[in-house]
Amino acid sequence: MPELAICTRGLRKTYRTRRGRRIVAVQGLDLDVPVGGVHGFLGPNGSGKTTSIRMLLGLVRADAGSMTVFGRPVPVRLPEVVGRIGAIVESPKFFPAFSGRKNLELLAEAIGAPRSRVGEVLEQTSLGDRGRDRFRTYSLGMKQRLAIAATLLKEPDLLIFDEPTNGLDPAGIREIRETMRGLGDQGRTVLVSSHILAEVEQVADTVSIIGHGRLLASGSVAEVIGGGTAATVKVAVDNHEAAARILTAAGMTVRPDGRYLLVDGAEHPADVTRRLAHQELYVSELIPVRAGLESVFLELTAEEGL
Amino acid sequence: MLRLTGVELRRLAARRLTVVGVLGVLVITALLLVVVWNDARPLSAEEQRSAQLQYEAAHAYWVENGEEDRRRCEADWDKQPDPKPAKEELCNFREPTVDDFGKPRVVFAETTPDRLLGASYLLVFAAFLIGASFVGAEFSTGAIGNWLTFEPRRLRVYGSKLLAAALGFVPVAGVVLSILLLGTYLIIGRLGDTSGTTAEVWGDLTAIGGRAVLLVAIGAALGGVVGLLLRHTAAAIGVAMGYLVLIEGVFAGFLNSAQPWLVKLNFDAFVRHDTTYYVNECGGGDGGNYVCNSIEKTLSFEHGAWYLGIVAVVLVLLGGAVFHRRDVNS
Repeated sequence: MPELAICTRGLRKTYRTRRGRRIVAVQGLDLDVPVGGVHGFLGPNGSGKTTSIRMLLGLVRADAGSMTVFGRPVPVRLPEVVGRIGAIVESPKFFPAFSGRKNLELLAEAIGAPRSRVGEVLEQTSLGDRGRDRFRTYSLGMKQRLAIAATLLKEPDLLIFDEPTNGLDPAGIREIRETMRGLGDQGRTVLVSSHILAEVEQVADTVSIIGHGRLLASGSVAEVIGGGTAATVKVAVDNHEAAARILTAAGMTVRPDGRYLLVDGAEHPADVTRRLAHQELYVSELIPVRAGLESVFLELTAEEGL
Repeated sequence: MLRLTGVELRRLAARRLTVVGVLGVLVITALLLVVVWNDARPLSAEEQRSAQLQYEAAHAYWVENGEEDRRRCEADWDKQPDPKPAKEELCNFREPTVDDFGKPRVVFAETTPDRLLGASYLLVFAAFLIGASFVGAEFSTGAIGNWLTFEPRRLRVYGSKLLAAALGFVPVAGVVLSILLLGTYLIIGRLGDTSGTTAEVWGDLTAIGGRAVLLVAIGAALGGVVGLLLRHTAAAIGVAMGYLVLIEGVFAGFLNSAQPWLVKLNFDAFVRHDTTYYVNECGGGDGGNYVCNSIEKTLSFEHGAWYLGIVAVVLVLLGGAVFHRRDVNS
């Protein structure tokens, strides 16, 4: 069994609304995050990702279950490992009237990091020029970069990013993605929560999918996405009617999609070309359609009966 | 803890509200010194002429009617309801003097304790508001969540914030009260009477100032507690103002026997080392009529010290317990 950066067992958290209604945010979550590399923590909005992260960081008290970070039970022994954890939970929160540099200086002083480290992490996150500007004047991308700079003050072994690309433009998303990948390549453990599969798929080595506060699937990206659903392919062929008839007879589901046919249920894309070629229908284009989180998630929740 | 307190002190000093608040307190201190000067300054020639005319008119009336007024008063004394005031006091129509219409000389030793007490109200209020903002803003902006990912030991975080708020106001209060004390002494020394300012008087004034500084520090820390409990500066200010108006104003006005259990009187008792207050005591008089008398009572320094100490400890413990258990979701 690989060494684990994060391990939770039976983690549970229930909130009470102002009207007294109980909402189960996390119900018995078992999560394993191996040491090193990028681990995607996937789930739709409201699935319990942020609450789970908050419990790991000691911000929210768990009702039941156990958690360890680098083998230390948290929150009891969180102070022993907090120096190895850098985290951004939801949107970056700093003192808005202070400059980015001032915010980082206060944090650096709190953890006993040398002041020179502030300049270094500002440069690393391309904020060197704007460090003296007030945090409230920063764009969302700059705020996110400042939050990353704050996490780097500790030179952490585990970085936790909660929905890090929310609200960012494409350039910002790419920048954050490259930063996370780079940190993972340095041997650090990066836990990135997101509801966008494509985003995680590009950076993550391993992934966990949760829904309704429970783990639905976990493993390498290829295992989870590939194993969760049969391939969907877009097929360009001259005779739609005949092709649809042949593929449907083979147990596949066929829908028209403009000049293509969308084919679900093929064990492998090659099955489609083989079956059509046997009937002298030749495929001019065959495009594998990647599963979206939504389809993977819906399939997983259907299997789980949620 | 010490390192965290140092960081919090630096944050407190860097906040704009702190800078504006301290400057505001210094401006008000300057205005208080202007008030001292106004109280102590001699009357202008115009005011002296007016006072002389008022004296002459009053004296002329006394010469013409004083004896008659006294006789009539003594004759009516029997008709006063019981308990009757002393006849000599009620019917004392003494001859007016010029001093009655001029301006009394301001005596430093007599007036300064109340000036220090007044300044301490201002300082405690400012410290409470800035303390509330210092902690409340962390919750309203969500910065506390980020801070806790760097230092998860909540009681240390809590302690460092309260300690920083309290320590941060000690030099401010010390400087403001020193300026007021020395400024008052210089102004009254020039325009009034400082002749009776013995070492004992200086000792009493220093003790009043010291106790006021202590309460300012506690006020800043309790502001932080209220800011933490309510999670917003505006809410903390609203609660403080609501308490002052409704409890210290309206409630104490209706039920003046409750004053020993309210903050202000205990504050006065602690700072002034004993204070007096009045309660209305009503009942049947000798003649069977219903009579109310305003009775002076004393609230001791010890009562004030215990009361304020217990209130502070309870609030600090409550804030610590809430912060220790509270989920930080913002």
